Amino acid sequence: MKKKDSYELPNEVASMYQRGKLSRREFVRLSSILGLCGGVAATTGGLFFPQPALAAMPRRGGEIKISLPVLRVTHPSQATWTPVSCITAPVAEYLTRVHGDGSVSGILLESWKPSTDLKTWTLNVRRGVTFNNGDAFTADDVIFTIKQWLDPAIQSSMINYLGPYLSSTDIEKTGSHQLKLHLKKARFALPVHLAEFAANILNHRTFEGDFIKAPHGTGPFTIETYRPGEVCIYKARPDYWAKGVDGKPLPYLDSIKFIDMGYDVTPKIAALKDGEINLIGLGGQEIMQAFKNDSRFISRSIETADTGVLRMRTDLKPWSDERVRLAFKNCQHREKILALAVENMGLLGHDAHIFPKHPAYCKKPIPPYDPEKSRALLNQAGYPNGLEVTLNYHADTYDHVRYAKVLKEDCLAGGFKVTLNPTPEYWDKWTEYDLGITQWIHNPIATTYLNVGYGVDQQGKPLPWNETRWVDSEFQQLLEQASGILDADERRKVMCKLEDVMAQRGGIGISYWTNKWWVIPENVHDIRIRADYLFELEKAWLS
Amino acid sequence: MVKYIIRRVYLLLLTMIIVSIVVFLITEASPGNVARKILGPFVTTEQATSFLAQNGLDKPVYLRYFLWLFGSDWYAEQKSSLNLKRIVTSGGFQEWWAVGKQGNLQHWDLQEGNLVTVTRLSDKEVERRMDNSQWLTRQEGERYFWGVDNANHVVLWIKDGQKQSWTFNQGSWAKQNDAPVEYIPLQKGFIRGDPGLSLRTGRPVARTVTIMLRNSMILASIAFVVAMPIAILLGILAGIKEGSRQDRTLSIIGLAFAVIPEFVTGVFLILIFSIWLEWLPGAVVFGDLNPWNRLDMLVLPVLTLALVEIGYVLRITRASMVEVMRSAYIRTAVLNGIPYWKVIFGYAVRNAIIAPITIVMLHFNWLLGGIVVVEYVFGYPGLGKYLLDAALMRDINAIVAGSMIMVVVAVTTQLIADIVYPLLNPRIRYK
Repeated sequence: MKKKDSYELPNEVASMYQRGKLSRREFVRLSSILGLCGGVAATTGGLFFPQPALAAMPRRGGEIKISLPVLRVTHPSQATWTPVSCITAPVAEYLTRVHGDGSVSGILLESWKPSTDLKTWTLNVRRGVTFNNGDAFTADDVIFTIKQWLDPAIQSSMINYLGPYLSSTDIEKTGSHQLKLHLKKARFALPVHLAEFAANILNHRTFEGDFIKAPHGTGPFTIETYRPGEVCIYKARPDYWAKGVDGKPLPYLDSIKFIDMGYDVTPKIAALKDGEINLIGLGGQEIMQAFKNDSRFISRSIETADTGVLRMRTDLKPWSDERVRLAFKNCQHREKILALAVENMGLLGHDAHIFPKHPAYCKKPIPPYDPEKSRALLNQAGYPNGLEVTLNYHADTYDHVRYAKVLKEDCLAGGFKVTLNPTPEYWDKWTEYDLGITQWIHNPIATTYLNVGYGVDQQGKPLPWNETRWVDSEFQQLLEQASGILDADERRKVMCKLEDVMAQRGGIGISYWTNKWWVIPENVHDIRIRADYLFELEKAWLS
Repeated sequence: MVKYIIRRVYLLLLTMIIVSIVVFLITEASPGNVARKILGPFVTTEQATSFLAQNGLDKPVYLRYFLWLFGSDWYAEQKSSLNLKRIVTSGGFQEWWAVGKQGNLQHWDLQEGNLVTVTRLSDKEVERRMDNSQWLTRQEGERYFWGVDNANHVVLWIKDGQKQSWTFNQGSWAKQNDAPVEYIPLQKGFIRGDPGLSLRTGRPVARTVTIMLRNSMILASIAFVVAMPIAILLGILAGIKEGSRQDRTLSIIGLAFAVIPEFVTGVFLILIFSIWLEWLPGAVVFGDLNPWNRLDMLVLPVLTLALVEIGYVLRITRASMVEVMRSAYIRTAVLNGIPYWKVIFGYAVRNAIIAPITIVMLHFNWLLGGIVVVEYVFGYPGLGKYLLDAALMRDINAIVAGSMIMVVVAVTTQLIADIVYPLLNPRIRYK
C-alpha cells in the first residue's frame, strides 16, 4: 500500500487504519470497494483460486476447448443465470471484478469514489478502450447499459440488485468518461453489484436487443461462430486494451471454443481424459471424484457460499409456527450431513444465510443435533404425537439427495416423520413448496442474498425470490442498517444480532456450505473461474 | 405399384398431421413451466410471463397449432393491417419487416413512451425517426399502435393505457402505461417450410435439425452398413445346420449381444478401448468439425450400435434360415443332386431373407431414433439426443420438427421394404 493512496480515503476509514482498528487485509478490501486502490487490489488478483506464483513466461497462441452449454443469448442484461453470461463474457466486459478475498478492482472502470454518506458514487470510465467494431468506449455506453438494467420492460436480473436503490433518473453524466450515480439509500455494495454476471457493458451505438446480431464488446475476444446447442468459437482481437506480461496486448490465447456436450457428465469426463477438451464448465462433485487419482490433472477447490437451504414456508401450516420451524432445525445433524452430503468438503452452517468467509460474518456456535429439544418444541406447539411432513428436492442434485436421506433418518427421533419427494421438476415450483431444499449459489456479500432472498418490498410483501415468505420487522430493520454500513467490523455488530434473529425465527435451516472444484489439465494456466462459474480467459495460456 | 406409393405418401401426410397434433397436446399437458426450464430456475414470474408472451406461448393451444402449421404472418397482417416481408440479411439472420407505402422496410421501437420508426436503408444502415403521430385511438380513449419490433414480432403497443401490463419493478407491480401488450411471433408455418424457432436457442429449428439429422444418418448408416452383411451372413451360417456346433456358438454370441443394452456395451467399450488401452477416444467432441473429420471418434459408437444390431438380426436370420432348410423343396433340391452351395445360395437364402429384410428396414428407423442411448453415452450430437433434450426442455418447435423427421424416415424405410419384397419373392404383389 502506497502512502499517497490514503489521502483519498474517507477520514474515518483512514484514521481507523492508522489507529490500528482495521486489519491490513480488511483495509485493502474496504478501500478497494471504495475504489481507492484499484491498482493494488488488481495486483493481488488471481485470488479466485490459490495459484502458485507465475514461474514461466506465458506462451502465446493455441485454442482452449471448454465443454459448456451453448445457450440462447439475446440481451445480455436479461441473463437469468451464469451459463448464459459465460457466452457473452469473453466479448462484453464488466465494470468491476470481485476477487476471492472480497476485494474489488476495476475492469472498465478506472476508479470510483463514493461520497461519505455512500449515496453519491462517482464512476471514472477507463480511457483508451475501444469496442471490437472500432467505436470508442465512453461514459455513454455505461449510462446506456445501466438504463437497460433499470428499464422494467427489459426484465433484467440486475434490477433485483440495483432496483431497490437506483432508478434510471439517478444517473448523471459529468464528463465524456465520468458519471455519477445518486443512490436512494446508502449502499456499500454497488461496486460488487456491478460485477454481477448479467452486468456486461453494451455498445450504445449498435446494440439493439440481440447481442448475436451486433456482438460488439470491449473484451479480448470476438465471436466467430455461434451455433446454439452446438458450439461457440471466439477469436482473439489484436487491439485489446490490457497488456500481457510481455508488453503485447492480451489475450495470450488465439481462440476459445465452447462445445455443447449436453447434460450427461460421462462423455465430458471421457473427453477431458482424452484431451479433447481442456475444461468442463459447470462441473460437479462427480468430476472431481473421477480425476482424483490422475496426476495429469490438478483439482482445485475453493470454499464457497454455495449451500442447500432447507426452506420452510412461514406462511403455511405447520411452518407458520416458529416453534415447529425451530424444532425441525434442531433435527439437523450437521456434522453427519456435511460428511455424507459433500464428503466433508465444506463448512458447517447455523441456519443463518451468512457465509463464514463473508467479511462481516459474526461467529456463532454450531447448534448440536437435539431431538429431545425438537420433541419438546413440537409438544409446546401442540403436536405431542409428532408431525408428518413431505420434503421436496431436486432429484438430480447429488448432495441434496443425500442430505434429504440423512434428515429423514434423524428427524424421526425428533418427532418428524419425513416423506421424501425427489422431483426433476423442483425448479419449476421452487418458491411454492411448503418444505424443500433449494440450492443457493455464491455471492461475495451476505447482504446481497439477504436483500434478494429474504427481502420485502415497500408494502412489506415478500419479494419474488423470498421463498420462505418470512417477514420479520426486526430482521428487515437490521438488514437495512447493515446494507448501509461500509466498515465490516461495524457491520458485524449488526450481523451478530441479525444472525441470531434469522437462526431463531427464520424459515431456513443451513447445515453446510459446499466447496467448488475444478479439474484442470496440467498444461492449462491462469484460467480464472469465478465462484459463480463465470470464466475469465484473457490471461489464460496453454503450455 | 405407383398407386400403392401414392397411397403411402397420402398416409405419410396424414400420419404427420396426427403426430404433430399429438405432440402439441402432450407437450401442452406435461407439467412444468417452459420459461423456467429455458431461462433457468432464478427467473422471476414476470420474466417468465414476458418470455411466454414474446414467444406466443400465452395463446391457446389450438391457435398455436394453427399458426405453427399455416404460419402467423397472414394472421398478424390481418390483425395489424401491415404488409409483412421476411428477408435474410448478409449475416444470415432472418428478419421480418413491414413494407411501407414507398416500398421501404420499416419496424418500430418504443423509447421512453415515444414511438420510433426505424427504416431500413441497407444491411448496416437504418434511419430512426421519432413519430408519435402514428398512434391510433380506440373507443376507450386508449392510444395504441400495431407494429413490427426488431425481434420478429408483430406487437401491439399501448400508450397511457388504463390496463396495467406485467412489468414489475423494485419488488412491486409498477403501473407501466406505455408497454407492449401483445406479441405475435412471426413464422411462415410448417407447410410453407418453416418449422419456426427453437425456444431453447432462439434460432431457426430447421438449420439445427438438418445438422443433427445428418450426424445421426452418418452414424446409423455406418452402423447399418457394417452390421447388416455380417449379421445376415452369420445368421445364414448358423441356420444352415440347426443344432451344429457353429449354430450353437453363433446363437449364444448373438443372444448375448442382443440382450445386453447399448448403454452397458457402450460403457464397457469405453472402459476397454478408451480408458484401459487408450486406443480410441471415449467421447465424441465435434465442436465445429464434421463427423468425417474425426472418424476415430465414430468407431466406438458404431461398434456399440453394430453389436446390438448383429445380435438381433443374426437371430432372426437364423430362425428364418432354419425354417427354410427344413422345407420340402430344399430336401428335393438336395436329393436331385444339385450342388450344396447352389442349394443354399440359389434356393434357401433367397427365401430365408424375406423376414430379415422387414426387420432390417424397420431397424434403420429404430437405429435413427433408438441411437439416443448411444448418442447420450458418447455425447454424440445427433437427432435422438436433440429430441430428448428438446423434450426435457419442452422446446415445442424442436420436438415437432424432430418428430416429423422421424415419421418421414419410418414411413419411407417401410416403403422401401415394401418395394424390395416383390423383387425377392415374385408371389408378393401389390394392388
